[in-house]
Order: sequence, then structure tokens, then C-alpha cells
Amino acid sequence: MAGGFAAAAVLTMSGFGYAAAQPGDFSTLPVDPNLITDSLAYNAAPAVFNPNGQPGVETVYTHRDGSRTITTTVLVLPDAGAATAALDGARAGLAAQVANGNSQPAAVGSGGTMLTGMSPDGSKAVTVLSFAEGNTATTIEFAGAPKDPVPSDLVLELGRKQDTAIRDWQAS
Amino acid sequence: MRRFGMALAIVAAVSGSVVTPQTAYAAQSSHDTNVYTQPAVPMGPKVQSLDCHGTTGGMGCGPGWFWRDGWRGWACYPC
Repeated sequence: MAGGFAAAAVLTMSGFGYAAAQPGDFSTLPVDPNLITDSLAYNAAPAVFNPNGQPGVETVYTHRDGSRTITTTVLVLPDAGAATAALDGARAGLAAQVANGNSQPAAVGSGGTMLTGMSPDGSKAVTVLSFAEGNTATTIEFAGAPKDPVPSDLVLELGRKQDTAIRDWQAS
Repeated sequence: MRRFGMALAIVAAVSGSVVTPQTAYAAQSSHDTNVYTQPAVPMGPKVQSLDCHGTTGGMGCGPGWFWRDGWRGWACYPC
């Protein structure tokens, strides 16, 4: 699903140079979900910088029992308009990748939206939180067993912490 | 014959004690001052679920919560 996000961002980014993106170390952008767990529940895979050629970072956190994953993707785009457009494109792509999806507004960042549904093959419960903050576009994907969807309060809590981290990063 | 007569007398006495009140009730249908109570129904085993294990909750989770390794790691989750 991050691929769809990136693909949408590619279209948005055409005509812009990456030099316009905010410089800085993206590695500090993703918020570790262990901040809101028992502190050891998730193991982070090495961060992927500039996923699919887009300036930003993507990190996958896997639950220690292997049954749950949280994938955080933060793209740093030239401006707020580009970030919003990237989110719109990403959501269009997600709609096709999440079966029986139910989308609802989420009070996170700008234009926050929470999409809940199943993976196309029905093997996973999927929830994707997406929002913009300034020139950044963020998606956080939660995937778990079909009968173990992520609680919405956890989605919002992690999303808000991610939004705060992005704003702090932008202010630094 | 004498025994038969005594047996008949006993049956008559017993049946009379049973039948007489019914007859009396029939006569008091419009001014019944008796208090009737519903017979108590014997109660069977009563189960009150407190949590997933039927106890007061593991790790202090309390009723209705279950200690497991979930989205937030080890924590109390609703049953």
C-alpha cells in the first residue's frame, strides 16, 4: 500500500526538484510505536530512506509475535499543496487495495482520514491512517489477523504522536 | 362387614377434609381476604462472568478484561 502512496506522490512531484524538500535527517521522523506499548512489543526494521524515489522515510515495525505490523511512511514534499495532493492520490490507491473499506475522518494533522477494512485476500485486517502536516504526507498502516483489528484509539494516539513529531521536526 | 364400614368411614372423613375448603373458596369468591404467595422457584446454579477466566482478572485487569500480548503489547484488553 505504501507503493500506491509513493506512486501518487510521484505524479505530484513531477516538475519539482527534490532540492525544494526540507533538508534534514529523516531517520528521526517515524515515531516508534513502543512509546505507547509495553516498550518492547515492536521491533523496527531498518528505515528505508526516500522510498520509491520520494524524499522521506518508511519504517516497518513488527510485533514480537509476528502477527501485527505497523508501517509508517512520511514523505517530505515541496509544499503543503503537494502533500495534500499526494494524500488524495494515495487514498484513491488505498481504496482499491483495502476490501470492504470504511473511511472516516480522523482528528489527526490536516485532512486526517482512517480507512478500515480487509486485505484483498482477506488474510489481514487493515487500517490506514493518513494525514498531512505542512509539506509532509504521512500514512500509517496497521495490519493484523482478521479477527484482531487494531483498536482505533491506538491508531489515533500513534497518529497524533507522529503528527507532533513531524511538527517538531519541521520547527527544528 | 364391620371392617368395610370402618374403612368407608375413614375415606369419608379424609375426603371431607380435602373437599370442604374447596367448597369454602367457591363460596368466598367475591370477598377473598386470603393472601396468596407465588411458590418459590428453586434456583439452579448461577454463573456470573467476571472476566475471560471467570476470576477477578489476571494481572489486576479486573472483570471484563483479559491480560494478553496485543497491539499495545502485554496489557489488559477487553474480553
